[in-house]
Amino acid sequence: MMDLLTDLLIGLPDQRPGGLLLSMLSAIVAAACAVVLGTLYATLCAAVPLPSMVLQAGLALLRGVPLLLLIFALGQATTLPLAATGFVALSLYSLSHVGETLRSYLAAYPKALREQATLLTLSKTREWLMLRVPWTIRHSMDALGTHWISLLKDTGALTVLGIGELTTVARLLSERATTSEWLLILLLAAALYLLAVLTLIRALAAMKTRLAGKGM
Amino acid sequence: MASAFGTQVLGTVVLWTLSGTIAVAVAMVLAALSMGRQRVIRLFADALITFTRGVPTSLLVVGAGIGAMARPAPTWLVNVFPGTSPGLTLVAWAVTIALAFGSTGHLAIIFRTGYASLGAARLEQATLLGLTPTRRFALLLRESATATSAPLGARLVHHLHNTAFAALFPVADFFGWIQQRANETFEVSRYAAIGVAVYVVLSLLIWAMFRGLELWLGIPTRRRTRPAGQLGPVIT
Repeated sequence: MMDLLTDLLIGLPDQRPGGLLLSMLSAIVAAACAVVLGTLYATLCAAVPLPSMVLQAGLALLRGVPLLLLIFALGQATTLPLAATGFVALSLYSLSHVGETLRSYLAAYPKALREQATLLTLSKTREWLMLRVPWTIRHSMDALGTHWISLLKDTGALTVLGIGELTTVARLLSERATTSEWLLILLLAAALYLLAVLTLIRALAAMKTRLAGKGM
Repeated sequence: MASAFGTQVLGTVVLWTLSGTIAVAVAMVLAALSMGRQRVIRLFADALITFTRGVPTSLLVVGAGIGAMARPAPTWLVNVFPGTSPGLTLVAWAVTIALAFGSTGHLAIIFRTGYASLGAARLEQATLLGLTPTRRFALLLRESATATSAPLGARLVHHLHNTAFAALFPVADFFGWIQQRANETFEVSRYAAIGVAVYVVLSLLIWAMFRGLELWLGIPTRRRTRPAGQLGPVIT
């Protein structure tokens, strides 16, 4: 039982880090990359709305592509190692959602705050870094949080490449197990996902409370 | 090749329609139960909603598929899945139910939010009209469609993307065909492009279907989109 739990948590002995650890690492790295790139994308869209339409159309197209297809296409068409392919696919997928969220919030940045920045004689770059980006991130936190929860669950799609995250480990162990054991394995994996998702929901709620406590 | 392509696309459409219909029906029941008077039933419905929202569809499909693969398909089970061999009917149904279960929790939350958005006054009005439960349900469904149609459409597009998990088992679906053809011919870019085109078209059709539904129900077009959660300009 302990061996099974260890495999599900950190991966099979010859494929570590894997399991839930790899699922969480993949989700965190992809989410971080997507937020950085998404902020740049949103800024570009706000600065040059018309020329950025091509980029916006590209991202809209990317949103229409199933994550599984994206992972499969990248896995087959590139020579990247499997784990890197997974990270890139998840980052692109996350960017297609996060980029649009950040773009809409950045576009809704209040005029009054812009005027305040002008009165304070802040440079464009300082205004962007000190006011616009923090305001956008803070106000889009609900939408971003929902997407991050979805992203954590979507790491299960990496199983199509055989990357040893939690779904793949559960699948491999279940296929080898007896009929009575496979249900236990899958229930344990489901419980781990549920625990991770509930922890993330709590962390996001705590982050929101903390931001609100700081007057944000 | 053309007929195989058509069969696999049809396979995805059948999977989406069946699992989507089951998901919507169960979600409505769960949403209603989660707002019921009895605490035990409310807790049960909430637990089920949380479970389906917290567990990835991929894992649900893997579980259902592995469980069904070990058993022969009962003779009474109808094979409605084009391109799937009759011996794998049970696997196809298990995958369909797992796909439905994967979306149920999300859909239940959408329905519950839509119901709550009607407000106490309108809900009381609906009660005072003295309608039969069925007619009251239809009225409330129509009234709450203003809030639910857009997220429901978006979720069903996501649900379409999730049908690709059926390819983990020998159940005929479009993504499985893309994978198979790309591996057989090594023309990955070509088949990936076909896949993108078909999924984008199917997603657009779902979007158009919901826009049509909104027009039919007389829901006004959203002229200006304000980001969710933002009540107005906030000066900090």
